[in-house]
Amino acid sequence: MSHLGDRLSALVDGELDGAERDRAYAHLASCEQCRTEAAELRALKQKLSTLLSGAPAEAAMTRRLIAMTGPGGPLPPRRRLLHLAPPTAPRETRRPGPRGPARRRYLLLGTVSLVVGLGTAAFTAGGGGAAAPGPRITPPVEMYSVEHAITTGEVPFTGPSDRPPAGASGADSDATQP
Amino acid sequence: MFAFNCPVNRRRDVRPSPRGGASGNGGPALLLAAVLAVAVPGVLVTACSGQTGPARPTASSAAPPAGSQPSSRRPGSALAARLLTQAAQAAVVTSYQGEEIVSHWGTSGATVLVSDIWHVSGGQTVTRTLTAGTYASSEPYLSSDTNGQWPEGVLGVTTQLVRLLEAHYVVVYGGAGSADNRAAQIVEAWRDDGSLAARFWLDDVTKLPLEREVFDSAAHVISEDVFINVQLENQAQVTAPVGGPADPQGPWTDPLPARQLLALRGGGWLVLPQLPGGLSLFTGAQTQASTGTVLDLGYSDGLSVVSLFEQRGNLAAKLTGWQKITVAGHVIYAAGPDQRSLTWSSRGMVYTVIADAPAQTVDDVIGALPHDAPPGFWKRMSRGFARLASWVNPFG
Repeated sequence: MSHLGDRLSALVDGELDGAERDRAYAHLASCEQCRTEAAELRALKQKLSTLLSGAPAEAAMTRRLIAMTGPGGPLPPRRRLLHLAPPTAPRETRRPGPRGPARRRYLLLGTVSLVVGLGTAAFTAGGGGAAAPGPRITPPVEMYSVEHAITTGEVPFTGPSDRPPAGASGADSDATQP
Repeated sequence: MFAFNCPVNRRRDVRPSPRGGASGNGGPALLLAAVLAVAVPGVLVTACSGQTGPARPTASSAAPPAGSQPSSRRPGSALAARLLTQAAQAAVVTSYQGEEIVSHWGTSGATVLVSDIWHVSGGQTVTRTLTAGTYASSEPYLSSDTNGQWPEGVLGVTTQLVRLLEAHYVVVYGGAGSADNRAAQIVEAWRDDGSLAARFWLDDVTKLPLEREVFDSAAHVISEDVFINVQLENQAQVTAPVGGPADPQGPWTDPLPARQLLALRGGGWLVLPQLPGGLSLFTGAQTQASTGTVLDLGYSDGLSVVSLFEQRGNLAAKLTGWQKITVAGHVIYAAGPDQRSLTWSSRGMVYTVIADAPAQTVDDVIGALPHDAPPGFWKRMSRGFARLASWVNPFG
């Protein structure tokens, strides 16, 4: 005796017509094994029906997951973890350059450098004597030496200039302004 | 023809003791002669080499023993004063020619100057200077003391300086000696503290100065001047070289008396009647330079002479031949091989000092003259910012 096989599943799903269904029922009446299998299939079908009807969201998600496995468009952009911060936290806006304390340190360092540099330049420039009015003079040491020798009654000494005493008369100054 | 002769063979026979008198004191005199026979030629040889840096000689003979201060009331004082006066006159009225060697010992070493000198009685003096083996002046230096106003002399013995010497020192007769193989009379000048300040050897016949030694109070030789190869001639026999300036002191006025010099203070000139070291104002003159009037003030105590030159203006930014030094705490500039020419500017006036004086006296003189005080910090900063602003100001 042959059993129902694949026709048993169709019988459980109600997919057999009249004559086929009658012959399937006649076989179940005389075959204990096929009745057992038919009972197990009905129980399984009932459980699946219960699961599908009680979790539609999960079913929809399952369908979406199944749909993602197939070919589709480009992947959506990744989202940073920062965007997962609570909405109550203040949002940071990104700006170019150093941020926060580092920027303040740079600002302070630049200011100090500027002040020190200007102060040093002013201190250096402020050295020397005050610029009093008058010509710029290089003392004619040779002419002065001759005059000194006349005063002392000694012979004249010479200074750094190689000019003879005659050339020193009256032309004693370097009028070049610095 | 110029001849460079070191006076190592010219030695006087007798050195007087500090107590005066070359005779009657045989032991110290012999010891003195022995010391000088060793020390002085070495000094002169070193000096004639023109090198600087040797240790300044110490004239141990000049160190006075305790209680050796001579009295101005000594009989020899009148004779000494008379000899010095005659020496100053002899430098003008005698016709002579010879070689003058002037050695100065300063802080930087010795400086030697050698000159040929020709002088016609009552007329011009011609000086041709040689130093360090080369002629310092391409032309002879001529003077023309036609009216007797200029204090020409030999070895610094002039009428004015002799008067100051007698006022500031005790001059005594030191006995007879010799110099340049000529018989000489010795005159000494002593300080009030009992130290020997100077010795003069005067020609026995003409009283022309032949040698002069100057000591500081520590018995160190400051200068030693000798007049060698002296030829006393008739006026017609003195043949001086021709050429050179006919009247080198022409730009300078005739010497002004102290009273007239002091009156210049009303015009803003600094004219001090006295300078440290007992230096008195005794002469002065003015000249017109291209940049204004120059005033020369002469201070002396009879031995040390300081010339102070004043000119309105400021020192040039670059002084060729001058180097910056510090004297009496002030930064100034020095020139010359022995740094005896000093200059600086203060309050719109350029001061130049040429000194033949002990180093301590020079320091005191420099310290007594005006200097710009260093500005305080804020004043310097203020001046610096003003200068920086003027530099970046395109309309400034």
